Amino acid sequence: MNDLIGQISICIERGKVNKAAPYPPDMREQDGADELTKQAIDDGIDPNEILHGCMMGMQKIGEKFSRNEAFVPELLMSAKAMTAVMAHLKPFFQSGNVKRKGKFVIGTVAGDLHDIGKKLVAMVVEGNGWDVIDLGVDVSADKFIAAIDEHPGCIVGMSALLTTTMVNMEKSIQGIRAKHPGTKVIVGGAPLSTEYANKIHADGYAADPQGAVNLLNGF
Amino acid sequence: MNSWERFRKRLKGETVDRPPNFDIMMTFACHYINEPLCRYYQDYRVLCEANLAVLEAFDLDIVQAISDPYREAADFGAKIEFPENGLPICKEPLIRQESDLKRLVPVNPASGKRMNDRLEAVSLFRQHVGGQVPVMGWVEGAMAEAADLRGVSTVLMDIFERPEWLKELLEICVETGINFARAQIDAGADIIGLGDSVVSQVSPQQYEEFALPYQQRIFSAVKEMGAVPRLHICGNTSLILNQMAQSGAEIIDLDWMVDFGSAARLYGDYPVICGNFDPVKVLLQGTPALVKMETLKCLQTGGPRCINMAGCEVPFETPYDNLLAQTKAIKEFGSGLS
Repeated sequence: MNDLIGQISICIERGKVNKAAPYPPDMREQDGADELTKQAIDDGIDPNEILHGCMMGMQKIGEKFSRNEAFVPELLMSAKAMTAVMAHLKPFFQSGNVKRKGKFVIGTVAGDLHDIGKKLVAMVVEGNGWDVIDLGVDVSADKFIAAIDEHPGCIVGMSALLTTTMVNMEKSIQGIRAKHPGTKVIVGGAPLSTEYANKIHADGYAADPQGAVNLLNGF
Repeated sequence: MNSWERFRKRLKGETVDRPPNFDIMMTFACHYINEPLCRYYQDYRVLCEANLAVLEAFDLDIVQAISDPYREAADFGAKIEFPENGLPICKEPLIRQESDLKRLVPVNPASGKRMNDRLEAVSLFRQHVGGQVPVMGWVEGAMAEAADLRGVSTVLMDIFERPEWLKELLEICVETGINFARAQIDAGADIIGLGDSVVSQVSPQQYEEFALPYQQRIFSAVKEMGAVPRLHICGNTSLILNQMAQSGAEIIDLDWMVDFGSAARLYGDYPVICGNFDPVKVLLQGTPALVKMETLKCLQTGGPRCINMAGCEVPFETPYDNLLAQTKAIKEFGSGLS
C-alpha cells in the first residue's frame, strides 16, 4: 500500500481530522485526513485507492469497537476524519471517476432526533462505495418520497431509537410504497428486530453499519 | 401493605407481600387517558391524572414525574416544540459554539416554566398519594443535560476536542441538577431519578471523568435531604456497572441488554437493581405467557431486593393484557405460587 494511503487509513482509524485538531494527543501538529488526502490527490493517486484506505481505517476502528477497545466517541471522531476525506473526493464522485454502487437515502424517522446510529451507518455505507444522501433527523414520509423522486432507483434506510417513534416507520413505508412500490427500504435502531422489520414490511433489518452494507450489497 | 411500605421494606431487604412494580409509563399513561402528548408534557395536571390512572389500573408501586429530557433545557432557553401527538423536539441546540457558554447560567427551578411544572406535578402527586405510594421526581444527569444543550454527537466529540470546556458546561448543568433535585424533594419527592443515558455510549474511563463525579454530587445532595437516589441509563451498561455503583445511587435501573443475574451477583445487597425484560419484544410484541415468564425470570435472578420493571419505558401501544400479566406474575411470585 502507498505510504500516503497508509497514513490516511491511520487518520481514519484514530480520528485525526486535520493538522489543527487536538485529537488524538499523540498526533498533535501532524497532518490529518484533510491534508493527507489533498496531498494524495495532488500526487495523482487514484481516488479509488484513497477510498480503499478509508475503508481499511474504518474496518480497524470497527474491530476495536467490537472488542470494546473503542467506543462511540472514538467512532464519531473517525467519522469526522472520514468526512474530511470525502470532501476532497466529492468531485471525483460527481465526475464518475470513482464508481458508486448505487444511491442510499437515509434519515431518522419522523419524530426521532437520535442521529448517532444513522450517522455511523451513513459513513460506513458511503465508505463502501455507495452514494449516500443523508436527509438528517425527523424525516417525514413526504421528505423520503421527495428524495426518491429526486434519486430514482435509490434504496431507503430509516432509523429510530425510541419505541415511541419506531411506529412511525410503518406509516413512512406505507407512504413510500404507495408512490414508489418497487423501492427497497431497510430499517435499524435499538428497539428494532428482524421480526418487527417483517411486520412493517421493510425489506431488511440491520443491527449495525456492516449489516446495512451487507443488505445493500445483497439487493 | 401499601406501595410505600412495600418499597421501603424491599429496599432494606425485609419481607414484602410482593416486589414493587416500577414500570416507567409516560406516553403509555397519556394514551391511556386519551390525552394528546403535547398536554402531558406541558400541563402537570394531565401528567398526574395519567400516572394516577395507570397506577390504579396496573397496580404499580410508584408515581413518576418523568416526562421528557427537555425540562431543564427549555428553562435554560432552548426552543422546544411540542407536536400534538409526538415527543418534544429541540431542533436547534442552545449551545452551538464555545462562546455560547458565557450566557448560560444555572436556572432557579421555581422560576423556570417547565421545571416549575414538574415541581407542581410532584406536589400534586404528594397531595393524592403521599405516604401511600412513593413519589418520584426526575433530573437530567450533567452529561445528559449537556447533550440536550449541545446535541448528542457533538457532546461526545467534545470529550476529545474540548474536554476542559465541556467540564465548564457540566459544572453549570450539575448545579442546575442539584437545585432541581432539591426543589423536587421540597415539593414532596421521595425518590429522585437521574437520567444519564448518553453515557451508555462512552468508555468506563470516560464515564469516570465526565459522568461519575457529577452523578455523585447530585446524589449526595439527594441523600442529604433524605430522598432515595435512582440512576437510570438506557442501553447496554454492562461495561460500566462498577462505575454506576460508585454514583451513590441506591436504585440502579438496568436496561434489557444487561444480564440481570450477573448484575445482582456483582452488586450483592447494594445498590438495589431494577428491571429488566425487553419492553419491545416482551411487553409490546409478546404474549401474556411470555411476559409472565420474563417477569419471573427477572425476579428469580435479581436477588431479594430487586424491583421489577421493563428495561425502559413501556411502549405506548403495549396491550393491557401484557401489563396485567406482569402484575399477576409479580403477585404470584410474592405469594410463593411461582
